[in-house]
Amino acid sequence: MHSVCFHFQISQPYRLRTYRFFDINENHHYFDDFQNNYITRRLAERCYLPANKMLLDLIHKYGDKFCVSFSMAGSSLKLFQEYCPEVIDSFKKLIDTGRVEITGNTFTHSLAALNNKTTFLEQIKLQEKFLDETFGVSPTSFCNTEIIYSDEIGEWIYEAGYKLALTEGAKHILGWKKPGFIYCNPYQTDLKLLLRSYRLCDDITLRFGDKNWDMYPMTAEKMIGFLRQTPEESPFINLYLDYETIGEYHTSETGIFDFFYSLFSQLCQSDEFSLIRPSDVLDMDMPASTMHAPWAISCSGEEKDTNEWLGNDLQQEAFQQLFKLETLYNESENEDAKLNWLRLQSADHFNYMGTKWFPQQTVLRNFEVYQSPYQAFINYMNVLNDVKLQLQKS
Amino acid sequence: MFGWEFPPHISGGLGTACFGLTKGLAKNNVEVIFVMPRASGDEDQTMVKIISAGEVEIDPRHSEFFQQNHNVAFVEIKSKLVPYIGLDDYYNVINQIESDVFEKNNSDKRKFFFSGTYGENLIEEVEHYAIVAAELAKNQNFDIIHAHDWLTYKAGIIAKKVSGKPLILHIHATEYDRSGENNLNEYVFNIEREGMMAADAVCAVSDLTRKIVIEKYGIPEEKVFTLHNAIEPFNKEIKKEKFVREKIVTFLGRVTFQKGPDYFVETAKKILEKDDNVRFVLAGDGDMMTHVIKRVAELGISDKFHFTGFLHGEEISKMFGMSDVYVMPSISEPFGISPLEAISAHVPVVISKQSGVAEVLQYAMKVDFWDIDAMADAIYGILHYQALSSFFATKGKEDIDNLKWEKTALKLIDIYKKFV
Repeated sequence: MHSVCFHFQISQPYRLRTYRFFDINENHHYFDDFQNNYITRRLAERCYLPANKMLLDLIHKYGDKFCVSFSMAGSSLKLFQEYCPEVIDSFKKLIDTGRVEITGNTFTHSLAALNNKTTFLEQIKLQEKFLDETFGVSPTSFCNTEIIYSDEIGEWIYEAGYKLALTEGAKHILGWKKPGFIYCNPYQTDLKLLLRSYRLCDDITLRFGDKNWDMYPMTAEKMIGFLRQTPEESPFINLYLDYETIGEYHTSETGIFDFFYSLFSQLCQSDEFSLIRPSDVLDMDMPASTMHAPWAISCSGEEKDTNEWLGNDLQQEAFQQLFKLETLYNESENEDAKLNWLRLQSADHFNYMGTKWFPQQTVLRNFEVYQSPYQAFINYMNVLNDVKLQLQKS
Repeated sequence: MFGWEFPPHISGGLGTACFGLTKGLAKNNVEVIFVMPRASGDEDQTMVKIISAGEVEIDPRHSEFFQQNHNVAFVEIKSKLVPYIGLDDYYNVINQIESDVFEKNNSDKRKFFFSGTYGENLIEEVEHYAIVAAELAKNQNFDIIHAHDWLTYKAGIIAKKVSGKPLILHIHATEYDRSGENNLNEYVFNIEREGMMAADAVCAVSDLTRKIVIEKYGIPEEKVFTLHNAIEPFNKEIKKEKFVREKIVTFLGRVTFQKGPDYFVETAKKILEKDDNVRFVLAGDGDMMTHVIKRVAELGISDKFHFTGFLHGEEISKMFGMSDVYVMPSISEPFGISPLEAISAHVPVVISKQSGVAEVLQYAMKVDFWDIDAMADAIYGILHYQALSSFFATKGKEDIDNLKWEKTALKLIDIYKKFV
């Protein structure tokens, strides 16, 4: 029997408005309220609300057989609170059933893990606090921003009190090993690792709705067939997806809701599969082996590296300048500026500066914010400079 | 090939483009005869045979016929723009030449004088140039007629008529770019339109220009091709040398409506309000000069805003050597070669989206010409965020390396092949 772990990630950034250099030190409002409102509401209507309802129905129907887990950056939850509080309520309903696990995460979808320990731990702590205040939950497993992970980051996660982390089943790290086992950090063997089966995830995110796919259309039955192909001796199938896959990447017209409902129903009824949450693994088996990740891995692209966010000189520069302000952050008492500094750590801002896909942008973002990576960079640096001044002032 | 100018004596991008294209064609084994109104003798003829129109002997009776018509009309209407005979008259003459109505008498042959500039006799020279073209079309051996910009379209049409060979027009700029929608010179517009209609194919230097040709001139899109300009590899390294401590932001080009110099001035004001450590240089000359100088004075930024007048070869290199940012705020730029020269000199560029060159550059800031805030922000970003300027300075070469005249020539040859 295979254990199938479904984990949905939610991370919507506070999108920056066009912030010109002449706004520096004059105006401290950095965010595009209109866009943030529009996108949050749109996602709520297309994805979060109907998808939550679907999950609630499944819980009512299948009870203990059904479970699922989420990681949601605190900044996204703040967007919901601000623009669409009913989303928070609907998550509360889900959590109250006891069948939904919320994992630990960074507070602002932060890339801090790629820079330094203290900010990373601060991000984790803030997120725990926020989850406690909002949902009254305290997470026991951890899912970092974009499932970024390395041996060192693993040690930090353990230090923050977690005994399980979710990350990518990156082929270049695993080599001959299969992702369907529990692994552990080589230096901190008490930290278990659950690895993403990215091929199966791609079957859903990329293949669903792809008319050029030779097996089009994707159905729940076909997906079950793929899951069945997983070798018997490899017990875990971990599917981590952006929650927006349901309803936004694939709109409801494509039948994505029916697909998931049917997939979950079949999994619940099947005796070949059982659904689990990450924390269920904590008391389960011993790790099969260690997984050695000397360099950071993530769920990005084919390479599963961090080049999507830190691949070019602009991204590197912005990243260095950002974390130079850590001391200021620690000393400052300007709470607004401090929060904004945390928000500027969001992976999305760095993604916008990417030139990885030059000369042709082959990946279309759902919400294109900037016309070029350079505009993204300049805008970001303008904001960062003002945040710096505000942190200094206090 | 008919073209009004050819390096080293050029006034803009047209000559440079002609040179690059002929070289690229030569490298792909296409022989080019380049007819220009007045060759100076110091043109590089290793790759191309240059014919100076002023050196071509014309049967006097053809030209007298022209002269007469010309003068009569001139007296009557007293306008420079109307006196020229229409195409039908050209064809009449040509038909007469072809049917040998005129008796041939070699001893009486004579030549036209061409200044080869864009002076007040321009229209007259355009007409004379067309007569020369007719003569050449009869005597020279060639497979394709390729004419660059409106000054040579009449020549192109006549050459096609005489020789029956296919005519390719090359649009480096249209009257829409030069004068804007409301100030169109109808005479020029009509020549352009007639030329495009008569041509077998029209090459535009950018998608932007192609669109204008299709939409404004009503040319069927299947015969309009985009053929982006390229750049000659830069051999000499430009010395980075500066004489002031401030950063320098440079505009280099004709100071005319088309180039948007006034947006440069307004942008300068925006930046100077926030940052005193910058100087702005406007290098070039043109009919908007007085207007621009007045505006600079009005804004009170004369101490940080400098005018150099028109710059030549070596001076241009020096200017790039001093510049920290190059700005091209053109309102309508069919292509725009000078940003490529700036990039070759490792100067980051800010260009308007309303330029053809924006279609081929990845490592450049692109803004709308009218969006002064965005332009100012782009310049400020390059000046203040070092990573950005070094990113452009180092990566820009990739863009340049992608723009080879041989490649453009290959595309052009594909177009030629449709007709021969």
